Amino acid sequence: MRSAHLRFGLALVLVLAVVVGACGKGGDDEEESGIKGDKLEIGAALSLTGSLAKEGALTKQGYQLCQEKVNERGGVRVGDKKVKLAITYSDDKSEPDTAARLIDNFNDDGVKLILGPYGSPSTEAAAAAVERNGQVMVDSSGADDNIFTKGYKTIFAVLSPATDYVAIIVEAIMKSANPKPKTVAFLSADDGFSQTAAEGGVEAAKKAGLEVVAEESFPEHTTDVSSALTKVRDEKPDLILGSVHVEEGIAIVKQSRELGVTPMGFGETVAPPTPDFREALGDAANGVVGSTQWTAQVKGQDEIFGTATDYAADYKKRFDADAEYHSAEGAAACLALVLAVEEAGSADSEKVRDALSGLDTESFFGPIKFDDTGKNVTKPMSAIQIQSGDVKTIYPEDQAEAKLQWPGTGG
Amino acid sequence: MSQFLQATVYGLLEGGLLALVAVGFSLVWGVMNIVNLAHGAFVITGAYIAWKLNTELGLDPYLGMLVSAAALFLAGYLVQRLLINQVVNAPIWMTLLLTFGLDLLIVQGLQLLFTADFRAIKTSWGTEGLALGDVRVPYGRLAGFGLAVAVTVALVWFMTRTRTGLAIRTTGMDRAAARLMGVNVRHVYALTFGLSAALAGMAGAILGSINTFSPSAAGGFTLQSFVIAVLGGLGNMWGALAGGILLGLVQAWGGQYLSGTLVNAIAFGVLVLVLIVRPAGLVGRPYYEARAEA
Repeated sequence: MRSAHLRFGLALVLVLAVVVGACGKGGDDEEESGIKGDKLEIGAALSLTGSLAKEGALTKQGYQLCQEKVNERGGVRVGDKKVKLAITYSDDKSEPDTAARLIDNFNDDGVKLILGPYGSPSTEAAAAAVERNGQVMVDSSGADDNIFTKGYKTIFAVLSPATDYVAIIVEAIMKSANPKPKTVAFLSADDGFSQTAAEGGVEAAKKAGLEVVAEESFPEHTTDVSSALTKVRDEKPDLILGSVHVEEGIAIVKQSRELGVTPMGFGETVAPPTPDFREALGDAANGVVGSTQWTAQVKGQDEIFGTATDYAADYKKRFDADAEYHSAEGAAACLALVLAVEEAGSADSEKVRDALSGLDTESFFGPIKFDDTGKNVTKPMSAIQIQSGDVKTIYPEDQAEAKLQWPGTGG
Repeated sequence: MSQFLQATVYGLLEGGLLALVAVGFSLVWGVMNIVNLAHGAFVITGAYIAWKLNTELGLDPYLGMLVSAAALFLAGYLVQRLLINQVVNAPIWMTLLLTFGLDLLIVQGLQLLFTADFRAIKTSWGTEGLALGDVRVPYGRLAGFGLAVAVTVALVWFMTRTRTGLAIRTTGMDRAAARLMGVNVRHVYALTFGLSAALAGMAGAILGSINTFSPSAAGGFTLQSFVIAVLGGLGNMWGALAGGILLGLVQAWGGQYLSGTLVNAIAFGVLVLVLIVRPAGLVGRPYYEARAEA
């Protein structure tokens, strides 16, 4: 008796599953354009847990703010109707393989428009899946130039490429430092992005007449960079440039103190603009020069966010924290995708792709215009310096809030 | 030469910190045959407790570590008594699964509570140091090293000179016999696990004052502890210190004379080498290595 019930139950479940499955499929076929009901569906695989959870959360905030601002305005104009922006998030656990799989899942669900994951490794993995599936992705934070050398046609990045990250620091320091540094040591994490950024920096340093006395690497996300510092100590470099993430960036300044490494100044990618950097180092953070994709002083405006200052104010109101560049990148990526959909008058991935490749606009994030490989080459990066515990934009000059304080150590 | 000396001193100090992290892990593995995959999560929890005490009350991490240790002792005792004791007789997979789940739970919980931001406990003296000629000895690391040695000596004394310590070791050697001798095995297991968690909490507080940390660092600490416990050998309280110092030195020298990106490869290379030459680890007892818990 009991087993008969069980069998009936199982059969019922199976039948239901088939029916529901079929319905799901039917739904997809009818609305292949990416618009379901009055919603424009966009997928984002983000690092919500794992080692990049912090940056992933910031990127998500940018996407969220974009969705809210767009929908406040009535939504996205697609042809003659307005639809609400609806971004679906899934967690790639900071693992590139997972990011790629999630992109496939989105594709299976008929989601063709994608906002990028956090970081170069995940973006690189996701890009391959996007290209294969005929989706289109706007990359918010994958800056490694490798992503753009594979001939992909459906990946567009709003941010400046990795080679600019250290180069802009060299430029900012060599422009106004007095006395000028003569020698430089490069310390880099061993991931693709940091290595590419360091290569760009070495090139810029040589061009600026600096002598490169050392190039050392260590594993990414390590908190111990003492080996590299011990090796460069005897070279007494005037400048130490770190192509790093937050942990290694903090470790370079901290362990330099411990080991008695005293250059005229430090420059680092990624870490200095973060509150974590200033909090962990306290006074030792002062004088460190950093590079950033965006500051609230960036020139330009757009119809959704207004100017960079407007964006910063909205962000502060929404998340009760100071706006920083990861979330701005996210918001800018989302902005580019929305503008492209409106321009294309359709959510069809091919039409959106064509609209993206023709996009040429000002925004709160600076100019957005993609070259053939999908890089946003018109946007300059900015350089900042920590001065008395605050992040001050020092370069390019049209954004500068303060002058470079030099030498950059001992304050 | 000064470069070699500096690397050696720094590696030695780093080794002490590694040992401090691993000593509790080695203890529960050696005594209870439990590979506690949540160990790193305990370390990070200890770091957050000390960090909170430091930012809210301005408490020095060397005082904060006592609070961390006490809180984690209690948590560890309860976890063992209420959770792990349920599966302690089951195949090792069950304890692995249970502690792995616990690790996920704690790490995600910490992330919800404290976000994934990187933290550091600031001390005014941590990055200052002695200068012995060209060789710098930072106070923060020196103190951490001293603590690792002190903790190890105290643990050895506790295990060999006190009744409770003897009961713990007896239980580790033969649970059935220990029970027949009147040892309350459940209590002893919980006590050992609590002690291990307390040591992890202490290590977290000190590491937090030297390095940066975030919830996602937990897995790395567990892995490090695993390597050090095997390197040093199980069943000997000096094992973690020996393993930690060896690892610290090898990584420092490797970083100087090979590539800095190879530190992990070097660490595991040394592990393999030690296992070939001395399967029981540097100072481990062969009995523990050969033991198959029934």
